[in-house]
Amino acid sequence: MSHIDSARTVDEQSFIAALKKVFHGERLLVSRENLSPYECDALPVYTTQALAVALAESEQDVVEALQLCRQFGIPVVSRGAGTGLSAGAKPIAGGLLLVTAPMKQILEVDPVAMTARVQPGAINQQLSIASAPHDLYYAPDPSSQIACSIGGNVAENAGGVHCLKYGVTVQNVLSVRLVSAAEENFGEVITLGSACLSQPGFDLLALVHGSEGGLGVITEVTVKLTPVPEHTRTLMADFASVRQAADAVSAIVRAGVIPAALEMMDKLAISATEAFCKAGYNLDAAGILLIDLDGHPLEVAAELAIVEKVLAESGAVTVHLAADDEQRARWWKGRKSAFPAIGRLSPDYYCIDGTVPRHRIGDVLEATERFAEKYALRVANVFHAGDGNLHPIIMFDGREPDALERTEKLAADILEYCIEVGGTITGEHGVGVEKINQMAVQFSDAELAQFRAIKSALDPHKLLNPDKQIPSLARCQEYRALRSCCG
Amino acid sequence: MVDFTAPHLVRDISADIATQIAAAYHGRGDTESLCLGGSASRAAFGLADQATLPLAGHTGVVDYQPEELILRARAGTPLSEIEALLGKHNQRFAAEIPSPSADSTLGGAIACGWDGPGRAFGGALRDIVLGCQLVNGRGETVRFGGQVMKNVAGYDLARLQVGALGTLGAILDVTLRLQPQAECTKSVRFEVAPAGLHDWWQRTRALRPLLSGTCYFEGHLHLRFSGRERAVNDVLKQLGGEESGLDWRALMDLRPAFFHGERLACAYLPRYASLPLTTGQALVEWEGARVWVRDGDHLTLARDAAELGGFVRVMRGPTVSSAGTTPAWHRALKSALDPKGVFNPAYFERHFVDEGGA
Repeated sequence: MSHIDSARTVDEQSFIAALKKVFHGERLLVSRENLSPYECDALPVYTTQALAVALAESEQDVVEALQLCRQFGIPVVSRGAGTGLSAGAKPIAGGLLLVTAPMKQILEVDPVAMTARVQPGAINQQLSIASAPHDLYYAPDPSSQIACSIGGNVAENAGGVHCLKYGVTVQNVLSVRLVSAAEENFGEVITLGSACLSQPGFDLLALVHGSEGGLGVITEVTVKLTPVPEHTRTLMADFASVRQAADAVSAIVRAGVIPAALEMMDKLAISATEAFCKAGYNLDAAGILLIDLDGHPLEVAAELAIVEKVLAESGAVTVHLAADDEQRARWWKGRKSAFPAIGRLSPDYYCIDGTVPRHRIGDVLEATERFAEKYALRVANVFHAGDGNLHPIIMFDGREPDALERTEKLAADILEYCIEVGGTITGEHGVGVEKINQMAVQFSDAELAQFRAIKSALDPHKLLNPDKQIPSLARCQEYRALRSCCG
Repeated sequence: MVDFTAPHLVRDISADIATQIAAAYHGRGDTESLCLGGSASRAAFGLADQATLPLAGHTGVVDYQPEELILRARAGTPLSEIEALLGKHNQRFAAEIPSPSADSTLGGAIACGWDGPGRAFGGALRDIVLGCQLVNGRGETVRFGGQVMKNVAGYDLARLQVGALGTLGAILDVTLRLQPQAECTKSVRFEVAPAGLHDWWQRTRALRPLLSGTCYFEGHLHLRFSGRERAVNDVLKQLGGEESGLDWRALMDLRPAFFHGERLACAYLPRYASLPLTTGQALVEWEGARVWVRDGDHLTLARDAAELGGFVRVMRGPTVSSAGTTPAWHRALKSALDPKGVFNPAYFERHFVDEGGA
């Protein structure tokens, strides 16, 4: 019996009545109008209304919600701020949406140990703000950092602009508290990882990073904080072709420099952003690179000289060094506003997330352009070039009857090309609902069966965000068949 | 294109490995369980010296792309050979990986999950694993992760192999992240009484990001710095101290006599912890977060470490439990990856589910 069938067999009213005893008043939403704001995450083309939305304020709330879900056989999607881009936090019909956003306390910042302990709903940027008086910050900085939650960051293994040098979420979290759904210890709160830079047993902390809410519900996170760099310099280089800009990225790494950030924007992204916030970008450039170098002042000076030389040799038309913090901030504001800026050019947009070897970035950008022409769509590119993590943003008008379908096909073509050149379908946004078909292209049946075995071992009652991230065998066969006949 | 293979070092025995595991899984083999092993170079540190399924014969670098900062090599490839190759391109692993002998293998390093002195200041081995291919307990060859810097497609079953002691799969090959070699590495030392260490840990924070190792031994605190030459020299000029002379490579590989006493244990603690050193002789790394104890009383050590929020691993001498607090998840994962318990069953019982300890 599938989870949906079993949900239909239980008395949904008694489930809700039982929930009401835990989630009083406005902490339990059940009416259509109250449920509608929770129908999707930040990929709004996919929506589903939950049976109920519960707003958790404590670990005990989470434990009790999971126990009720098990008792009534109701699936549960846990979510934080809902800024995810793969519909991973989209509710399931007939299921509970358990929102941990109200658990937003920063419980402790320990400036001596350089750690912070937070509830899962704590906002990424707030953590850096709270750490700033101690000259510390939390390194992973997704573009959504003003709104995204740390619990969600762990669930997706979020990256950001500065992860080339400072790592993604999994490299910056020391431990989590999590409510288990395994048979042997259902509803028990367990701690994965430790403050010790090693842990007894398996590296379960790594396993839950990027598990998209499918292996447990996180109730607390202890993170590593990073000292604010003593010195930072920012370079902006303009190129006459995206290929040259992409090749310069490889050349910088080949020269032995790992910048703190190495980002790229193409012409469409540049013009959208410049119109949006006057960042000071060159509108004639086909591509620009934004590069942060940070650390000891003499280290930065030495690497600046190397990078400037490489950029000149790579055909950069102009290379600017930010004169002061104000100019730096303006350049970065442009980069971080790129998504809303592109959103102004088009009624709808759809951001994808493939990662490829750096030396294939140019190939993927050119292929993307070809694919986009085929579907009569426009694509802007603004991405983490240093990591090879591309974010093609497809612009479309959802009011046109076939626009979403063309967009999904274009996204599939781009992602499958990423696999073809040795990359992956997702670098930091997760699989969710959006990329579930491409899982069947990236992985073999045995590999997908292995993922399913892990999922069943830790969630035997199929309660936690079921039917996302890992496709069923039937779904894989269907998609592969469709691909081979219509490819 | 980099020429990364010396033909005599390349041997692909993955089909044999998968066949033997499938036979054990289906009950067709001589035995129902297999003891996986590499070169046995860690036998002096409490790990097996005999393997019924030796993986050391599966050798060779499969892919090396200096520009991409990645290397993929078969599990039996000696770390020393890989390091020699990387050195030619002025690169290194993005974490320090101990090799107790010249034939210590990559697969053994992943299975053991040991880290070097730089762990507290940058890459841990688990942080640089990008992907791996393994044979699971059903005899199926499966690959997880990949060869790119960021990848969240599916569960991270590659990183899960680090420190799993081969209980979750027979690792065939691993892709690791690399980094450029530091332009300059220098060390200084200071005479410090044990009680003075805590004050030093307050000072070392300001020495980042160039600080790349700390070691306190026999009354001296050794500090290592890595980075651009001018920056390292500038820090040393301000810091003072005398030239250290500590062989960090030997320390990482556990070669000094200190590591070869009758008993050896290692306490993992929260950073800046002050472990009461009442028994044996100690060597303190990672700003206090790792303390090696030679010829100490392991039970006392385990109790003291637990009080500070840490735990102990015994390499030699009386054992104490370090199975962790999540045996339910350990058993669930074992059943998912190795349903019939083919791989290293004794290690699994001792290191992952034994809650009682000694």
